Amino acid sequence: MISDIAKNLVKLKKEFVKVYDGNSQIQEFIPKSKSELFPIEESHLDLLHEFATTNPIYYNSFEKKIGSVDCIVYEGDINKYWLNSIQHGSSKAPFSPTWIMSGYIGAMFAKELGYSEVIDIGSGDGRIAYCAKVLGMESHSLEIDDLLVELQNLLTSKLNFNPHCTDAVTFDYPSLNLSRPIFFIGGLAQMGGTFLATGVLDKINSISNLKQNSGWVFAGTLSKKYSPDPKNEAGWGTLIEKNNLKYIQNISLPAAWTFHESDEVQYIFAESR
Amino acid sequence: MTSSEDISQIFDSESKKLQNLIDTANSKTDMNIHEIVETYYQVMNVSSMATMLKEQADSEPKSLLSKIQETEKMISEKFDSIIHPKILAKISLSIQEMTKNLQSGNSGKKSKEQIESDAKLFEELRQTMSTKEFVEQYENGISHD
Repeated sequence: MISDIAKNLVKLKKEFVKVYDGNSQIQEFIPKSKSELFPIEESHLDLLHEFATTNPIYYNSFEKKIGSVDCIVYEGDINKYWLNSIQHGSSKAPFSPTWIMSGYIGAMFAKELGYSEVIDIGSGDGRIAYCAKVLGMESHSLEIDDLLVELQNLLTSKLNFNPHCTDAVTFDYPSLNLSRPIFFIGGLAQMGGTFLATGVLDKINSISNLKQNSGWVFAGTLSKKYSPDPKNEAGWGTLIEKNNLKYIQNISLPAAWTFHESDEVQYIFAESR
Repeated sequence: MTSSEDISQIFDSESKKLQNLIDTANSKTDMNIHEIVETYYQVMNVSSMATMLKEQADSEPKSLLSKIQETEKMISEKFDSIIHPKILAKISLSIQEMTKNLQSGNSGKKSKEQIESDAKLFEELRQTMSTKEFVEQYENGISHD
């Protein structure tokens, strides 16, 4: 069922690209209510809309029927955060969010796989950690950029997804008392993601109870703009093999930067052996 | 098969194109991104041709070798020593100024129109930064020669 929702989102995104005539830097939609294509609890959809309406990166919203689905379109701008990240050099990859719906579907998969905690690494505005919380999972949002963490703190009033302003490579993970975590690694392999993932994997592998119990989600791409990995997996094959992880599945979901692309982000799910 | 005369003519024509681009770059104070990229590509194009032709120097006529030397001198003395540093300095200054302006305009609530108009300036900044990276790659090439 979840993979059907993911496919429906990708199909509807393609419809959206055809009909969107605005000029915003980023744009996405969330269905207004539960439907056959998106059998999502109304209360969850309300919380997803709330994340968008309280998030200052979005400056405009309007109703639009996309395909057969009534949606709210959110238009946003993340230039201020991009400028801050390149000024301080703190971030290895500039902030470019996945769609809120993609974060929710990714978290649904994580829950279905039996994970109880989502750790959103390089979390941007914390949307994946927020979505995990919507689904009743525990979550932590790790972000090195102070301006983005400031933004996250504005979004925790209803659901506290535990923002931490920290370098994920040096973070004290045992302090979170994790039992069955899944780590979402922000950033494509080719955009600093490998460095970040390697640092976090090394750290988690040194914690005995987590080494065997952890799941991993890597954001990959099939775009020809980026050099492929010889072991494939949308740029992550070598890292997966080197760290003796077991590939579980791949889900294709839209993100802000794939709006004008034919391929979506490939979320590669893997687990420790 | 291409004759020595053909090769000589091609090299001569590409060198003249480069000469024109270098003259334009020398006279202009404000080159746009397209002009900058076009000039660097032509420098790299002619430099590669010169390197390749010198490798088969024994089979090339003396007049071509002399033309190659003349062109390499132009690249080294006019482009590498004068124009390239001028372009790099100008791009760096533009980035500083654009960044400063965009940062100073970041406070306060803005209208949809203002946000979308500013987004174009951010896009311009990103393009200028990419151009700087491209120019710096050329700089790295010179320093490794």
